[in-house]
Amino acid sequence: MEGERICEVDSGDGLGADIISTVEFNHTGELLATGDKGGRVVIFQREPESKNEPYNQGEYNVYSTFQSHEPEFDYLKSLEIEEKINKIKWLPQQNAAHSLLSTNDKTIKLWKITERDKRPEGYNLKDEEGKLKDLSTVTSLQVPVLKPMDLMVEVTPRRIFANGHTYHVNSISVNSDCETYMSADDLRINLWHLAITDRSFNIVDIKPANMEDLTEVITASEFHPHHCNLFVYSSSKGSLRLCDMRASALCDKHSKLYEEPEDPSNRSFFSEIISSVSDVKFSHSGRYMLTRDYLTVKVWDLNMETKPVETYQVHDYLRSKLCSLYENDCIFDKFECAWNGSDSVIMTGAYNNFFRMFDRNTKRDVTLEASRESSKPRAILKPRRVCVGGKRRKDDISVDSLDFTKKILHTAWHPTENIIAIAATNNLYIFQDKVNSEMH
Amino acid sequence: MLGRGLKRKLSDYEESMAGLSSAFDSSRGLSYPLKRQLVLNMCLTKLQTYKMLVEPNLHRSVLIANTVRQIQEEMRQESSQQPVSICPGIAPAAHSYPGMEAPGISLQLPAAVGQQESHCCELRSVEDPIESSLLIVSDDDMSSAISSILKDLDFVEDISPPTCLVPTGDDQPKFPENTGLKLEDDRQDLKGAECVFGSFEISNSTSYLKDLAIDDIFEDIDTSMYDSDFCCPPLMSPRSPSLATEEPLKTFPSCNSSSANNIQICRTDLSELDHIMEILVGS
Repeated sequence: MEGERICEVDSGDGLGADIISTVEFNHTGELLATGDKGGRVVIFQREPESKNEPYNQGEYNVYSTFQSHEPEFDYLKSLEIEEKINKIKWLPQQNAAHSLLSTNDKTIKLWKITERDKRPEGYNLKDEEGKLKDLSTVTSLQVPVLKPMDLMVEVTPRRIFANGHTYHVNSISVNSDCETYMSADDLRINLWHLAITDRSFNIVDIKPANMEDLTEVITASEFHPHHCNLFVYSSSKGSLRLCDMRASALCDKHSKLYEEPEDPSNRSFFSEIISSVSDVKFSHSGRYMLTRDYLTVKVWDLNMETKPVETYQVHDYLRSKLCSLYENDCIFDKFECAWNGSDSVIMTGAYNNFFRMFDRNTKRDVTLEASRESSKPRAILKPRRVCVGGKRRKDDISVDSLDFTKKILHTAWHPTENIIAIAATNNLYIFQDKVNSEMH
Repeated sequence: MLGRGLKRKLSDYEESMAGLSSAFDSSRGLSYPLKRQLVLNMCLTKLQTYKMLVEPNLHRSVLIANTVRQIQEEMRQESSQQPVSICPGIAPAAHSYPGMEAPGISLQLPAAVGQQESHCCELRSVEDPIESSLLIVSDDDMSSAISSILKDLDFVEDISPPTCLVPTGDDQPKFPENTGLKLEDDRQDLKGAECVFGSFEISNSTSYLKDLAIDDIFEDIDTSMYDSDFCCPPLMSPRSPSLATEEPLKTFPSCNSSSANNIQICRTDLSELDHIMEILVGS
């Protein structure tokens, strides 16, 4: 991914000061949705490429902004329910309107986004301002015609799926059947029908009879992209469970368990904590799964349960700093991961506003930085390096000067092109690889 | 009285911990048991902090609880294999200071260790500021800490059982038979929680206090020594094993009293000594 030409959309101002909490492209890549800590959703639309302005082609501009969730107070438990948007998932487009699901800790909402660019003119009884006409002036009948108007984007909440979860929702995933979706919290996974809000089916429940026996929680889950009966969920112990909904109504028993035995040479007090999977994503082909734990990303073959087929070190230099990272809670940071459209490159975020990309074919990897200083519009991103002592080149960053408050947790990759969206705290960066636009 | 100085103590503790965790990471002169103790203390402090939150993070609590259990298991195995080896910072009961408990006398020694007190003192000859600021917590304390946190999480979170969502159809074989039970469980949880919070006037960790009379708490213990918790059962009293399940997590600096005249006073100890003096003097 060298020689990238950058088209940066720095939306720090547009989003206010709120921290971005999720980023998601829709199925065509035309739209990009971001959710933030304040419960707002901002949708960006890609400008169609035009010959007149070749340099503006493919830029993303704000399309719509709306307040998805508000802070709530649960009076029964005296708890505040945060309005932070945990996840957004687009529904496949079935008509002119776009739909997406957005969720906070407790409630999932289905939003419909429609455009209005025409309005009817020429009513018989009303004039242009809407006032009733004096009937004596009406001498003939006319048929109202649709005339173009300025584009108006309307967003309406179509469904609210509430009261499904006792614990905090960490994932939602739309099924390939386009009729159902699932939502997962720490201990349970529910299956919903997109049209039915007053009930859901519980398909996974790992809550023990005695909470004192609790040793594992669900951290992420996703439906298989092609098989509507299969889904995977990851746990805090580093394992993946593939479940088949045809097997039984309650999928407590997994069909396949993916677990890598611990490497005894790397064992530490924090081994279990760093093995907790923070994100799981099926490849576009459906053949592989990508997981992210604290220090690595791993590619798993669905057919092999004993170990991942590929493991990439994201920031292994942190292995000797685990105690400090545990102390300041950074060890609990949940990084996401992403596939590119052809499943040949994987991407994930790190600290100091760095993000990493691994090419599965060439086995090359690169570290890039998302920051205002290094990314003027159409500037080329320079690869960065973290040095761990020893020879230090110019522009290298030493491990000790990494800024752990600047973390890139949320990243997304365009479904077909080499365009990536990176959320760095409250800034959104969109990078394009103009040189190599085709997937390889 | 109980709440006085809590914040100050905790921040002092945190500062010393920050220094310790860098020492851990650079592996400078910290032996394995010391490292383990440090991690354990950090875990317990975090769990304690989470307990004070209205809604602790379940994921983190479980990860930390598992780490504590893992360390606990290791220590148990060690103590069953080599009773003599668990000594760092443990002050045997026989050497208590007259009139007051010196800072850091450990509460409940694992049974095997208690019998080896005299051996322990002889093994420990080197004073180490790092060691003296580490905290010793007993096995039972850890278990009860984990149990209570997870139990509280259950109460906090799961009042509304999921059964109310299940359709009345036959698609959910699991639920129809468990519906009644689940609601009962939750009601019992609620009742249990009500008892827990019944005697709330003393502190927010009342689950530990419900069976203790106030006199017992202050009998012969200098409570100011305990960094993070309010309630402190007696250190040496023979009753302590029976209170194991009720007792809170106690963390306090340890000190080797076999060389009382060379106690190296580190930062945390200084503030604690001040406290002790204040109490002794009766201010």
